[in-house]
Amino acid sequence: MRFEDLARQYAADLYRYAFWLARDRSQAEDIVQEALLRGWRAFPRLREQGAAKRWLFSIVRNEYLRAAEAGSRQPESLEGLDPPDERSPELGLEMREALAALPASYAEPLALQVLGGFSCAEIAALLGTTEGATTTRLTRARQALKRLVASPGTRERKGER
Amino acid sequence: MNCLDYRRTLAAGEPETADMKAHRLQCAACAALFREHAEFERELREGLAVEIPSGFEQRLKTAVVHNRRRFLAAAAATAAAAGIGAYAWLGRDGPLAMACIGFVMKEEAKSIMMGAMPHAEAETALATTLPLARIERIGRVKHIGPCPFNGATAYHVVLSVPQGKVTLLVMPETRVAGEQAGHDGMYAIVVALRNGSVGVIGTDKAVVNSVAGALRA
Repeated sequence: MRFEDLARQYAADLYRYAFWLARDRSQAEDIVQEALLRGWRAFPRLREQGAAKRWLFSIVRNEYLRAAEAGSRQPESLEGLDPPDERSPELGLEMREALAALPASYAEPLALQVLGGFSCAEIAALLGTTEGATTTRLTRARQALKRLVASPGTRERKGER
Repeated sequence: MNCLDYRRTLAAGEPETADMKAHRLQCAACAALFREHAEFERELREGLAVEIPSGFEQRLKTAVVHNRRRFLAAAAATAAAAGIGAYAWLGRDGPLAMACIGFVMKEEAKSIMMGAMPHAEAETALATTLPLARIERIGRVKHIGPCPFNGATAYHVVLSVPQGKVTLLVMPETRVAGEQAGHDGMYAIVVALRNGSVGVIGTDKAVVNSVAGALRA
């Protein structure tokens, strides 16, 4: 497969992943551009074509960390397991808002699983953690989201009774 | 598989296995949970799928092509500085031929917008390098004008030939032994002339070869 085809195939998901890391559209675009350039340079050394998608996501992740460091901005912890800010239980949120309220340590594995279609084992390898820890993180992320979304306020807005 | 295992696996968002499905089909409580879960996962997918900014793919392509050109130029310079010689790893792409491709990809439209030069003036300007009459024997000249290129003035010619369109860059002040390059679906051959050289650039390798051959003759 040509690198151009690979980039075209995954560009949208890479952008979305970068967005959930950086939480900023412009920065997400810069991250993907830089990551694809690095990817293009390194592509001839990629031995397993089957692992190309995971490889591209990992480049985006590294690029985000590098950009955050270069901008002297501390990246939000990608490793911690702090509980998310669940705000007031009365304040119901739509899914997008609820996702924005999640810390990166929860949003990132979710994005990798849902957007990238990676298994817990693959996500664990990408994040440099164990499969068990990843499963726990994904479970807690969903629990937190459900609490944020399924409040009375949200149900009223959605017209549920 | 029991209810606890089923719910634990589902809660982490892992796909349902055959074992899990068999359990769900005989457990009303887990079947109800599965329906809720499917709806939640749909909302989650939609929530994560933020809109792609307008023009993102085009900007991406432009940025990668631009940086790739810079990278190739730097790599060629490094290879030359190291005495490697023929840039074997770049497939023998010559830097001037690569620059010709770069011109067509990035500068051609701008050059045409800057305006054409009068026919008589073009005849005089090209007389000692590549007489205009010789170009006109090959095809119909759709545009001709001066343009800055490779640190000197070149003459940009858009030529319509029976097989399609090619671009010529006539370089009175640049002499090379002859070069060629291929990049991103474009091909270029630089032909040495008695005085200066001419780059032939196009998307069809055979047409570029054919026009270069005619100019060489």
